[in-house]
Amino acid sequence: MSNKVNRRDFLKIMGWGGVGATLAGCDLPTTVTLEEGKEQITSYLVPEEFVIPGVGVYYASTCQQCPAGCGVHGRVREGRVLKLEGNPESAINKGKLCQMGQSGVQTHYNPDRITRPMVRKGGGLTAVSWDEALSLIEGKTGPASGLKGERFAWVTDTVSGHQATLLDAHLESLGSSNHFVHEIINNSVSQAVNQDMLGEPAPHLALDKARVILSFGADFLGTWQSPVHNSVMYAEFRNAPRGVLIQVEPKMTLTGANADLWVAVRPGTEGVFALAIANALATSDPARLDGLPDRLQQLIRGYNIEKASKITGASGEHFVKIAAWLNERSPSLVLAGASAEGHEHGYDTVAATMLLNVILGNIGETIESSGVFPFPQLTARTGGSKDLLDFAKALDGQQLDVVFFRGANPVFTAPDALDLKGKLDKVGFKVAFSMFEDETTLMADVVLPMHSPLEDWGTHVVAHQPRQSLIAIQQPLMQPLYEQTRGFGDSLLTMLKMQKAAGYSDYQDYYAYLRDAFSALPDNIKAGASDIDFWANTMQKGTLDVDTGAGATIAVNLVDFDLPDNAKQDGSYYLIPSARLGLWDGRHANIPWLQEAPDQISKVVWDSWAEMHPSTAGKLGVKTGDTIKITSTTGSIEANVYVFKGIHPDAIAVPMGQGHESYGRYAEGRGVNPLKILALNTDRKTGELAHHSTRVQVSKTGVTLPMVRFQGHDTQLGRKLIATVTADVFERTEGDA
Amino acid sequence: MTKDINEDIKWAKINEDVLRSMENPRKGYWMAIAGCLLLLSFAIGAEIYQYNVGMGPSNLNWPHMWDLYIATFIFWIGMSHSGTLLSAILHIIHADWRKPIYRFAEAMTTFTLMTAGLFPIIHIGRLWNMYWVLPYFSDRGIWPNFRSPLVWDAFAIATYLTSSALFLFMGSIPDLAICRDTATGWRKKLYTVLSLGWRGDDRQWRHFRKAYLIMACFLIPLAVSVHSIVSSDFAVSIMPGWHVTTFPPYFVAGALYSGCAAIITLFIMLRYFFRFEDYMTIPILEKTAKLTFAIAMVWTYLNIIEFSSIWYGHDPISKELLLAKFYGPYAPYFWAMIFLGSVLPFTLAVEKLRRNIPVMMVVSLFLNLGMWLERWMIVTPTLSMAYSPAAHDVMWPSWVQWFIVFGSFGWFGLLFLIFVKIIPSVSMYEVKEMIFHRRHMAKKDIAEVMHRRTTDKKTPATESPGLEGA
Amino acid sequence: MSLSNILEDWSKYRKTREDGGFHDYEHMWGMAIDLNKCIGCNACSVACYAENNLAVVGREKFSKGQGMHWMRIERYWDEPDLGEGRVSEFNQHGANFLPMNCQQCNAATCEPVCPVAATYHTPDGLNAQVYNRCIGSRYCSNNCPYRLRFFNFYSYYEDSWPAPLEMQLNPDLSVRDKGVMEKCTFCVQRIRTAKDKAKMENRQVQDGEAMTACAQTCPTSAIVFGDLLKHFNPDADVVETQVTNMWRTHQVELGRSSQNKQNPELRGYRVFEGLNTDPCIMFLERVREV
Repeated sequence: MSNKVNRRDFLKIMGWGGVGATLAGCDLPTTVTLEEGKEQITSYLVPEEFVIPGVGVYYASTCQQCPAGCGVHGRVREGRVLKLEGNPESAINKGKLCQMGQSGVQTHYNPDRITRPMVRKGGGLTAVSWDEALSLIEGKTGPASGLKGERFAWVTDTVSGHQATLLDAHLESLGSSNHFVHEIINNSVSQAVNQDMLGEPAPHLALDKARVILSFGADFLGTWQSPVHNSVMYAEFRNAPRGVLIQVEPKMTLTGANADLWVAVRPGTEGVFALAIANALATSDPARLDGLPDRLQQLIRGYNIEKASKITGASGEHFVKIAAWLNERSPSLVLAGASAEGHEHGYDTVAATMLLNVILGNIGETIESSGVFPFPQLTARTGGSKDLLDFAKALDGQQLDVVFFRGANPVFTAPDALDLKGKLDKVGFKVAFSMFEDETTLMADVVLPMHSPLEDWGTHVVAHQPRQSLIAIQQPLMQPLYEQTRGFGDSLLTMLKMQKAAGYSDYQDYYAYLRDAFSALPDNIKAGASDIDFWANTMQKGTLDVDTGAGATIAVNLVDFDLPDNAKQDGSYYLIPSARLGLWDGRHANIPWLQEAPDQISKVVWDSWAEMHPSTAGKLGVKTGDTIKITSTTGSIEANVYVFKGIHPDAIAVPMGQGHESYGRYAEGRGVNPLKILALNTDRKTGELAHHSTRVQVSKTGVTLPMVRFQGHDTQLGRKLIATVTADVFERTEGDA
Repeated sequence: MTKDINEDIKWAKINEDVLRSMENPRKGYWMAIAGCLLLLSFAIGAEIYQYNVGMGPSNLNWPHMWDLYIATFIFWIGMSHSGTLLSAILHIIHADWRKPIYRFAEAMTTFTLMTAGLFPIIHIGRLWNMYWVLPYFSDRGIWPNFRSPLVWDAFAIATYLTSSALFLFMGSIPDLAICRDTATGWRKKLYTVLSLGWRGDDRQWRHFRKAYLIMACFLIPLAVSVHSIVSSDFAVSIMPGWHVTTFPPYFVAGALYSGCAAIITLFIMLRYFFRFEDYMTIPILEKTAKLTFAIAMVWTYLNIIEFSSIWYGHDPISKELLLAKFYGPYAPYFWAMIFLGSVLPFTLAVEKLRRNIPVMMVVSLFLNLGMWLERWMIVTPTLSMAYSPAAHDVMWPSWVQWFIVFGSFGWFGLLFLIFVKIIPSVSMYEVKEMIFHRRHMAKKDIAEVMHRRTTDKKTPATESPGLEGA
Repeated sequence: MSLSNILEDWSKYRKTREDGGFHDYEHMWGMAIDLNKCIGCNACSVACYAENNLAVVGREKFSKGQGMHWMRIERYWDEPDLGEGRVSEFNQHGANFLPMNCQQCNAATCEPVCPVAATYHTPDGLNAQVYNRCIGSRYCSNNCPYRLRFFNFYSYYEDSWPAPLEMQLNPDLSVRDKGVMEKCTFCVQRIRTAKDKAKMENRQVQDGEAMTACAQTCPTSAIVFGDLLKHFNPDADVVETQVTNMWRTHQVELGRSSQNKQNPELRGYRVFEGLNTDPCIMFLERVREV
């Protein structure tokens, strides 16, 4: 499929759809062949050969709604992509898709897409031609500009595959190494611990093999790592013999809502909890601690249940019960997620949970080595909030003259205390490769309109691979909607050509580059197929399996750590900027389906809210629907309260995602952004933003605003809509049947 | 005991009084017309808006698919019951005190039905397809769903409206002839047509009385069935609070109740504006009030039955709903309904109060408000909290609904105002009949005499009071 | 319109009445939803929006309760009774998630009350809604104990799909205008496609060939969709399906208002079965340790 955009062809294809017909009919009743430059009237009764009127055809591609990289099948009818479905061939999602994946089509067809290149002229952004925009970029960044080296930077979200290779090449051609990868929902701290203790950042976590999962704030069904992949494994985990899921966290996540036992702990005390479990395990079987350094043994012995119960606020019987489960059933799996990572001692907390895995013998059992990906240039460039802080620091030092943005929206996700907006203002030249006019894009000097993921080519090597590692293939599912948008890979090639980088001038476009790259793949991957067959097969399948030597033994390297008791009580609350499956970090706030899909826990739509425990609410004298003011040292936000028993009394949770100042009609001016009032505390070891550690004061405003929720009544009122049976019964009736 | 009517009224005076009420509308009349038109125009505006935009602006929602439109529909249907039904029943049992008041009551029936009939049309989402509920022959061979109570409604209301209008018209023929005899100009032509050549001869009277009696006998079961059928809109469903076996009698009782109250209201208004003190006398008012009181007690009793059968019953969800009516968000309206429907009517039991015209005016209006609340409390709380807890919701109607509800009063008022100027609102011939009988047969058992007169063909109708006045 | 037509209609109608429902079923589409696996993630709901042209109504209208969600996840915070009036401090056992779409009742309460027969039972065992026939009396929704019918209070198409969002609309089914009722159809357009294909190839519809959007996308495969006819009528000329197997395993039968299970511990149940609506969706009870 050629990547040349031809509006007429596009409209011709569109004409087959009922709605498209109107659009084309009003707009352009004739078609023009550009070659001949003359108009011809072509009947719509003669469709393009790949269009069979009335029949949906499925093309494989890769979902770009979050970094998990699920395979999708796009249903294409009359040249329009209508619906995304999971690609059963993808080992990541096995034919399943989450709500964000489902709404990929609304990102694609979003009415607020940027359709023209724009250049800042006299304060505002003005639409210009690509040539003009590119010549401006060339003047500022090309060889003629005289700029070179570390004055350039890229700020992106997770990027991998051949786009990452080209991006690296671009940076190299500029002589810079500044690639800031910013994801506010990230696993950076865990990755650091994994790297230090297991020797690899993202081992495969075999949820399906585990009989007990003890998760410290890891919302693996919602927003953690690879949610659909995890959900598929979770289904297996819940089959007989049914695994037990214990979730320990201060605010109930979607995973917590599905736990057999949900334990509320004081924010930041997950590490203590983990050590106390280790302590309890050691009490029943002292051999558990064999081989641990004395220092760690002492640390574990220091946290008996009474002490831990006092620090964490969790009842002692929970520790006993959890330890008993872990003793009875193996293998188990201990996970740590955002609430464990998001404190100044986040690294230590995660290390404590990993230590528990070591004690339980899970390494190599449920924590499997992902092996070594044979193409390091394609692997995911992951990042977290440290890159954001580093970026801000670099801006502070006036070290950057030119910044390229792609994907990430740091102006939205950065806390106000960072004053990123003010700092960016001082940067001489900013280029945004963007689909939407988000906060960061609006600060750019040049805005280049990008293809949507459903119009673009790409390859993706996700950070969290399934057992069988793979390269996920992204191919266009339809002709681009707009004449003026371009693919990200194409744009990178253009930039490289601009830098006169050697070796890229032969590639007409990114597609040609990819074809070439695929031809160059080693024979063991191609399995003897000809280049054309290999390409066609890969496109049809949507994924490319890569042998990484997964399942190799993992050598454990225990790291030392220390945990604060974290017991200071000053009447303030911890602010938890919770992540929700749906709006994610705010990038999906412009998707109407996701705005209207109720939050899984609070059932709120189109809005922000603040979750609060009934005892906290009682203290403040507020009830669900009342508005409260949440004040940190750096600012304040107002939101309606949702009172429920799924949050620790010391915590107030406000979900991320809303509070956009600009991001299209569906996102703008809706709700609040809790990230804005975060304090700039960082994790002691990794330097990541400790985003769960901000202390806030909460006050009642006396206002009660209507809260748009779906759920009428929060309990079943004694009706038997859902009945719960115990696992014993389940094992009796369905176990091993 | 005071007499129901002054037996010494000259028949000429009756004609004069009644015909006067039909002539020379005063300023007040035009102001009333203007007021009704104003209300109606608001409603028409709201309806046009709703027609163009959809049912959304009315605040109807999921799960509140029905609200004031249906409640007000039942209210008007209910009000329609007293006129014709009471007139027919009282006619059959020869309660002659009905005679001065039945005409406007029957008119009320017809017009309330004409008002009520608008509501199902207003309330449906695609009113331009309203006729699909009727069984007409079509090429598509599609019939309405005869299992649906809404189709029964359509039949019942259409039948009732036709028969009530016929009953009203039939009963007016002798009076229309009187009008014809005195009218001039276009009115003369109108009444000539309307009076169907009534000359008041013996044969005509005989046929007239027979036909009238047959109509009355036909109308009684019909009227009872109409409101039973309306009640089946609810009783046939499986929703708690709707699926109630006592609903048919409960609805009929409620209907008679609101109708009687409306009769009292109109009675007082006509008496005041048209100086009908001689005909619409306090004793008749008292009788109506007593009747209303009796029906109110029946209604209260049926309420108690409904509540207690739910309370002692086996359905926790109905019980929950009942408690929600007592304590829930709609509780103020529920208790207002109980107060207005069951407590307030005790004023009617007090002789001093029920002889007091202003008091009766206020009470009758409040009784009808109570009955309107009753309909609302039947429709809305059930929708607000039924089986699915996720669908529990409280909804308050928007201005669109209120405009249309108030507009319906304008519409009814307008019809009634036109009526009083076209058809005599007091039956002249029957008042004469009444006076005649009272005067000459006061000592006899009137019922017996009347019975003989209507059944015994051989007894010549020597005394034909209708002729005398005409 | 002919007399024979009328008579035929009438005899069919009579037959339906006597037998208490269609008995010449070609299929009986049904579901099994495992609450042990359902995680309440909403994927099914959004997939339904994507497949069935559901309107996004916006904050204002949603707050008035005029939203559309054929497939919705109800979330309940029911805690097991601790006894002695004690209440737990936290929701220790998480939430109760219940995905609810039209239960496709075989004795659907919505069907008899529709004045124009816009909702009726198809030979496929589906509770169908004919948009063109609907006049919007909304009685069906009032009489649905599950509250799974949604009304077009506005012409939502006017602003739910600003260009070019309307290009996403599925041409296999209509976009509803104001004044009509709509509800889950079990993705009837997909069933239709599967049946047509099977008929062209002169074979039976295979299990998994017709698949609703929600079942297809469910990340934990908690929703299983398929033909139940074999369960209802063992002699039926349809294939054996996973869903039939699940109903059988859990000893849930159609046509009953209470199940007579040999093993009462089996998890299968139907919501509000006691109302005798005879739904075609079986739920498997949620499971919790403890």
